[in-house]
Amino acid sequence: MKRSSNPPILAEKLLKWHAGKADLEDIQGDLDEVYGLTLEQSGKLKAGIKYWYQVLSLLFSYGLKKRKSKAAYSPFYHKNSTAMFKNYFKIAIRNFSKHKLFTSLNMLGLALGMSICLLALSISVAIYQSDSWQENKERIFQINTYVADQEDSRTFASTFYAMGEYLEDQYPFVEKAVTIRPGFSPEINHHGNKMKFQGYFTEQSFLDVFSFKLIKGDQKTALASPSSIVLTQEVAETLFRDEDPIGKSLETDYGVFNVTGVMENPKQTHFYFQILGSIDNHSQMTARNAANEWIDFKWNYAYVLLDEEQSEDNLEQALNQVSTHAASFNPEREIELEYINLEGVVPRWNISQALGIGWDEPSMLFFLTIGLLVLLPAVFNYTNMSIARALKRAKEIGIRKVVGAEKHQIKAQFLIETILLSVIALTGSLLILYPMKQEFLGMIIGGDMLDTNPNLAQILTFLIFSILVGLMAGLFPAQYFSKLNPIQTMKGEIKNGKNNVSGFKKGLFVFQFFLSLVFVIGIAAMARQHTYALNTNHGFQSENILSIPFERIEKQVAIHELGNHPDVKAITTASSLPGVSLNGFIDVTSNDQDTIQANVVFIGDQFIENLNMELKWGESESLQRSNQNEELVLVNEQFIEAMKVFNIQKDTLRFTLPDGTNCRIVGILKDFNYEPLNELINPLMMRYSVANSHFALLTVSSSNIKRTISELEAIWQGIDQEINFHASFLDDDIEDAYWFLRVQMKFFGVLSTLAITISCLGLLGMVTYTTENRTKEIAVRKIMGATNYSLYYLLTKDFLKLIMISALIAIPVSYIFYDKVLLYFLIRYGTGLGILEILGSVLFLFLVGLTSIYWQASKVTKANPATKLRYE
Amino acid sequence: MKGYIGEFEELVLLTIANLSKDAYGVAILNDISKRANRKLSIGALHSTLTRLEEKGYISSYLGEPTNERGGRRKRYFEITDSAKAELSNMKALRDQLWAGSKVNLSVK
Repeated sequence: MKRSSNPPILAEKLLKWHAGKADLEDIQGDLDEVYGLTLEQSGKLKAGIKYWYQVLSLLFSYGLKKRKSKAAYSPFYHKNSTAMFKNYFKIAIRNFSKHKLFTSLNMLGLALGMSICLLALSISVAIYQSDSWQENKERIFQINTYVADQEDSRTFASTFYAMGEYLEDQYPFVEKAVTIRPGFSPEINHHGNKMKFQGYFTEQSFLDVFSFKLIKGDQKTALASPSSIVLTQEVAETLFRDEDPIGKSLETDYGVFNVTGVMENPKQTHFYFQILGSIDNHSQMTARNAANEWIDFKWNYAYVLLDEEQSEDNLEQALNQVSTHAASFNPEREIELEYINLEGVVPRWNISQALGIGWDEPSMLFFLTIGLLVLLPAVFNYTNMSIARALKRAKEIGIRKVVGAEKHQIKAQFLIETILLSVIALTGSLLILYPMKQEFLGMIIGGDMLDTNPNLAQILTFLIFSILVGLMAGLFPAQYFSKLNPIQTMKGEIKNGKNNVSGFKKGLFVFQFFLSLVFVIGIAAMARQHTYALNTNHGFQSENILSIPFERIEKQVAIHELGNHPDVKAITTASSLPGVSLNGFIDVTSNDQDTIQANVVFIGDQFIENLNMELKWGESESLQRSNQNEELVLVNEQFIEAMKVFNIQKDTLRFTLPDGTNCRIVGILKDFNYEPLNELINPLMMRYSVANSHFALLTVSSSNIKRTISELEAIWQGIDQEINFHASFLDDDIEDAYWFLRVQMKFFGVLSTLAITISCLGLLGMVTYTTENRTKEIAVRKIMGATNYSLYYLLTKDFLKLIMISALIAIPVSYIFYDKVLLYFLIRYGTGLGILEILGSVLFLFLVGLTSIYWQASKVTKANPATKLRYE
Repeated sequence: MKGYIGEFEELVLLTIANLSKDAYGVAILNDISKRANRKLSIGALHSTLTRLEEKGYISSYLGEPTNERGGRRKRYFEITDSAKAELSNMKALRDQLWAGSKVNLSVK
């Protein structure tokens, strides 16, 4: 029978879909035959219509229904067969134990690869759970402010100064409002030690609304009166050890405070504070006027606790009204008030001036991406190796298929195997995770606030993640295996028996080694910056200078006595160490109108000379000769540059400080890095004041520095026994200022170790596979007289080529990335990336790669060819 | 167990008996529509066939694949002994009734 045309596809599909698993072969044959007959007799259209009619009659027929219900109870297939899953598990475990090397390579690779992701996930989960423990969390909302003017439009986490009080007064459904102002960073003077703490100014309602527990003190009144302060347990222990802190007074540069409470160390919260001070002190300090209350919105945060019965809609309406109210004070800006529930405060996608650490989603995403970059190669490895080893398992698949396994069953089998592997790898990964987490949380600010201990959410996230990883790794091999042709596999004709690695796998290799190389170059780059920063001349002398903090000792006496020691060549003082970060700016006014911001350093006698600083103009000798009317100061070139912008009619060398001091510049310093090299060179002003200096800087030359220091200590003790003597070399102090570089190096170190290990595991797997497949070939070559050298060459050349290609891509990419982007942010005045680092990194990678190839290749080449040939 | 055989079922059974070795779906369909001049859908036919199979009057087997139907196999039906017994029972009853008829049943 000729078939000039096919029956309607749609009808065919409909029937198949309806029939499901029922066997339709004979019915479809009948349908086709009838179609063919009608086609010959009465044409295509009629045949089509008739076909449809037949199909529809079948859809409602008893015959098909019966076949369907029969198929559902077929003894050969059952949808939820636990026996089948059991079998999959058994086969998976047997396979693992049969191929121990490959299983352990894969497992190790996945465990290492997952570790960074797990770290990121663990921290993310902890961040998402912030404040979920607060009792009133559903009823607490943070008020945010959207501000748009001509230049910019942003949403701020902060809000107007008047907001909290206004909402509480005007709207009865607001049960309580909390106002928080950060920036309470007093230096507490306690038993002669000055310690700086960070905290918030806030009011009593803070303790009422949020569920932070006071261990000591009255939860209901602790912050009610002015000048009261609540300490966290940690701070209380540092300050008072075993004493009861309640009722003690603390002397600070913000005035005297009374300790009224000790709070449990806050955890799992978006707030970040060590102490809480009464907001009344803040109000007194700043003396704000009423008009500003509705204009300033920075550094003021408001939270409201709604009545239990109230819905968010009320708050929204109220905020709309208040927005209009606030807008009347800000005619040039568009104001819109928003609110967010306490649990949603962190992390957010895009918010300005978040309170506390301000975890945000973009940086979490970035971190996770880095984790995935490390994980992906491990997943590729698995995919690669499983497919490469198809030959070994093809027969198994063939038999399964012949016996009647369907595609999806083969797929399920492989997916289950991979998921099992990745879940086992997860346990291994958790072992690495623990120490890594400790280290990492110690490095990031606020890490100690996060509770990343395993809880249900964490464990669930990990499990789901590892299952996803298993799916990701197993999908491709499962697809591949399920498509194998059983006849070919039984005959052993599978196409994958090639000795060479296919193009796709080559691409994966290149990617892995590219990634590893980028990370390795990263460490080299950081290390270079680190040495450079320490060895370069910052613009002053830092060798052989001892720095001694001398806060409460009689400064003039100390200078005199210490300076008399024979090893001390010169002595001077400064308020902050050169080469270490400065804090705080001061406003400098030059023409009664415009101000610039400048760093201030107080220096003692001979500071410039002792530290070998270079003056461009003027002299530094006359600094001491300041009088009542004007103070003589030194500035740097940046300072002058900044001043140039203004229109100064009078003397260009004169300016005033906010406290009214008139200053005259007597010398201009050449620009140099007073701060670490990552900081911009800012306008800098040096004022003469021994009283304001915090450090004594001693230029020493001694043959036995230990003895000198102990003699200096003896002199110190002679002046005042109660104060500790602590001397360190300025070089060491400067090195400490570069801790951030060491953190980066550590981070890149971990990343590159992981990436390289994973890449090498992959390499090892592929080399093992290819050499195993070429055992016979190599044996024949050897018998024919091939030398060991030529065999190595044969086995390694392909892989070396791949590593070479990845190096060729990695070098320009990492050059651009590190030299132009990363290092610029880290170290503005650094040297960039050197050729030596790149070459060294490439060489290192080649060595590691070659070693892993050699390990496997030597196994084959050293074997006796006779046994190898007999074996097959 | 004696099942009840309907008129259409009897027709199908006899058709299968007539076609003997060639009794598969389309053949039965064509034969019935030719002889009895009845319009019949595949769905209706297969429903009847399934019922008959359940009652144990017919059995079926799959034939060899043929090129004609795109390699699809035909399902052949044959009548069972119980069907033969039932059919002859019915025929005997009818013959009895025909013979005993007091009215001349032949159409002129």
